[in-house]
Amino acid sequence: MLTLPLHDLPVRSASGFLIRHVLPRSFPPQLLGPADRREPFRILTIGDTIIGVGHGSASEFCGHYDQVIMDTLLIPDVRGKVVVLISCETAQALGPKLVEKGAASYIGFKEDFVWVMDADLASTPWADFEYAAPVIMPVTNCVNAVLDGKTTGEAFGNLIEGLSENAEVEEDELVKSCIEFNISNAVLLGDENARVRARPPMLLPFRLIPPPPILLPVRA
Amino acid sequence: MSEEFERLKEALREAPTPEARKAAAEAMRRYLASHPPKSKPTLVSLGYKKPYPTAIKVEDIPGELEQNPEFFKHLQKIVGT
Repeated sequence: MLTLPLHDLPVRSASGFLIRHVLPRSFPPQLLGPADRREPFRILTIGDTIIGVGHGSASEFCGHYDQVIMDTLLIPDVRGKVVVLISCETAQALGPKLVEKGAASYIGFKEDFVWVMDADLASTPWADFEYAAPVIMPVTNCVNAVLDGKTTGEAFGNLIEGLSENAEVEEDELVKSCIEFNISNAVLLGDENARVRARPPMLLPFRLIPPPPILLPVRA
Repeated sequence: MSEEFERLKEALREAPTPEARKAAAEAMRRYLASHPPKSKPTLVSLGYKKPYPTAIKVEDIPGELEQNPEFFKHLQKIVGT
């Protein structure tokens, strides 16, 4: 399961990187843009992963146009699944609840997940190498490590290592502060030896050719 | 770390009084003047129902710092610690 809302700048930026680097090698269900809603999310429970981008709070995780698709009061069937929530604060209550309800492992953030993005690249967010990539690429690499069949402990290590390396070389001080803030708030819960079956690597054409621009409007 | 950013960090260590917010806004303006952005950088977060904008152009940060104590605290967490 992949949930990728596209309605505003933050979700567009994060989802964009996953569209470029993860979507082509993931299996359905893939809830992209307007399809990222509560009902399909609840019905489509197949698969061994839940990888989601979305606005979030301590107890809620949102889909397209901030419809709450998961909260601590109503947890879908997550038994044995690896859950990665690219969102804010879900490690405070939702992440622990997911593990309590049987998720094998959870990766998320206990405070705001923050970064700087280039608003001029809203239709091709994966091309934002200067501002967004130093934060979002390590997250994307963490997700891909999970899909490579690595343990969540290894994937989480990739995330922290990638963010730390980028912080070390980053010259923009605001971007660097965001990276360091995210490092201090990244959380892995559950079994750090959990893993899912490895997906095939991304096919060469997808690696070479970026997706078409996203033409959906962006909410101000 | 640049002198301007160090001053911004210092300004963000205060409690979010109107005076502190004004001083932080001024420090941010000086930082931006010394580091003019090349395109349209925007500070974003994935918070839900937050009392501050989850997407704000970097050039608009000083104004928001002055107006919104919650945004001051948000930036304080990111930069000021």
